[in-house]
Amino acid sequence: MKQELKNDRIITGCIAVGLIIMAVLLAGCTSSTPAQPPAQTPAPVAEVTTIPVPQETTVALLSAAATVPLTTTSTPAPVFTASPGNLIVFTAASLTGASPAIGSSFTAAYPGHKVAFNLDGTQALKTQVESGAYADIFISASNSYTNTLKNEGYFINSTVHPLTTNYLIVILPAGNPGNIQSLADLAKPGVKIDMEAKEVPAGTVTIQTIGNLANTTYGNEWQTALFKNVVSYETSEPAVATKVSLGEVDAGFVYESTFTAAPKNTLMAIAIPKPQNVLQAYTIGVLKESTNQAVATEFEQFMLSPAGQQVLTNYGFRPVS
Amino acid sequence: MNVTRAGLKKYRQAATYSLAAALILAVTLYLALPVVSLFFRTTPDLFFTSLADPGVSSALWLSLFTTTVSLATVVVVGTPFAYFHSRTTYPGKMLVDTLIDLPLVMPPAVAGVALLVLYGRTGLIGRYLNVFGISLAFTTTAVIMAQIFVASPFYLRQAKSLFEQLDPAYEQTARTLGASPLRTFLRVTIPLTGSGLIAGAVMTFGRALGEFGATIMFAGNLPGVTQTMPLAVYEGMEGNFNAGLTISILLVIISFGIMIAVRLVAREGGFRA
Repeated sequence: MKQELKNDRIITGCIAVGLIIMAVLLAGCTSSTPAQPPAQTPAPVAEVTTIPVPQETTVALLSAAATVPLTTTSTPAPVFTASPGNLIVFTAASLTGASPAIGSSFTAAYPGHKVAFNLDGTQALKTQVESGAYADIFISASNSYTNTLKNEGYFINSTVHPLTTNYLIVILPAGNPGNIQSLADLAKPGVKIDMEAKEVPAGTVTIQTIGNLANTTYGNEWQTALFKNVVSYETSEPAVATKVSLGEVDAGFVYESTFTAAPKNTLMAIAIPKPQNVLQAYTIGVLKESTNQAVATEFEQFMLSPAGQQVLTNYGFRPVS
Repeated sequence: MNVTRAGLKKYRQAATYSLAAALILAVTLYLALPVVSLFFRTTPDLFFTSLADPGVSSALWLSLFTTTVSLATVVVVGTPFAYFHSRTTYPGKMLVDTLIDLPLVMPPAVAGVALLVLYGRTGLIGRYLNVFGISLAFTTTAVIMAQIFVASPFYLRQAKSLFEQLDPAYEQTARTLGASPLRTFLRVTIPLTGSGLIAGAVMTFGRALGEFGATIMFAGNLPGVTQTMPLAVYEGMEGNFNAGLTISILLVIISFGIMIAVRLVAREGGFRA
């Protein structure tokens, strides 16, 4: 019984402390402390004296440290906050290799401005934006997803521009374990092929390109046999490159830029003739939700400028003709 | 004076109860609302239309097939393992105990990478298997291997502790009455631990059913071959939202069925899952 009473007191004590903390947090109104029944006249006075304490500490923080991002505009912001000069760029995964160079050359051109990349298949990035994710810039590897986002009202439509282009290529592991000498060999029984799922922009153009090759050169049986050899449909383009370079599959369909940017002697490649190859068009645009449109526009101008285009060329992308 | 003290106590009790009620309500809503909202997002019409989608039904059957095989393997191999492990002492037993728990704390994606660098075509063991024409990665076998790797600890832990807690006197009695060791195990040990073992098996089934990270890394994502329900949900979110939603709902229903099964079994046998 005594124990119970004690427990009761502990619980009520906890509740009282909790309520007091809440009351202090909700400070500003000097009324009611409901957990303390013996409220006598000194109570309001006591409260008035406690309230200035948190106010003082916040003021001290504001003046002393430059780490408070919300209200200080003059001091440089820390890296991890969404603040002036710090852009969040949703970027098609096929730019993964180029993204560090893009970030550093932008920062070099615009000191104090930084970019953080969210790299994933464009289809996944599109779903994220539609689900309310915050981004300043959207770099898409697919005109159709760009148009969808435009129609849904996410882009500032006047800022959407073609950025770069990319052709498809077939990559093989360095040792060529499947002994693939031509596109025709992709249909040999037992060859393991990796490609992107049809929702991924690279997957969409891969399916189109294979269809073109079948119609013009290799025939429908080749196409059927090739698709029978597919062992996995990846959810982003770099995942295909990884599985090929590990030697886990015999061949994979990726963008030319991925082959160009890969470390020397890790991959071999078979080109796909231009007439059948589908040229993927990338776009860049500022999103309406961006709270930092001035810097976002600067980033876009940089990417479209000769300096920005040079970075993309270095990583195997082709300029917009 | 006495009256006010009693009043105060009543006031405190009321405050405690209302706080408890608010807490219970908040926790329950936080956990249940997201699941319930899945059902609000679809209509029966839409649900059954996408259920007929070949991608959805093949993922459903593949998931049920692979998890059943995984579970059978875990039970058949894991039960005698747990028995010998708990009834004997051997050097390195502590290490084995720790290794069994490892998959529980390891991110499944890491498990997938680990399986790939071991059994993959260029992996530590995989390169030798490849010589014999055996290729494990990107096959249905790989799906099952990934599921066993991440889900077996649930069963092994449960079985281990059940056998440890069981009083050896029962088994000794059976032995003195002339029963063979196997007969003793099947007629005494298993019936005494059965409901607890089933509860562990059901948890393993549930974990295997939800396996995603290790599967997509090691087995890949091929409809009908390695695309299980969680993988189909992931791909559905990027294109065919309704298919993703339908599979999510199916998974909720199956998971809920599993939990009810665990409760029933646990109550019947007096064990707590």
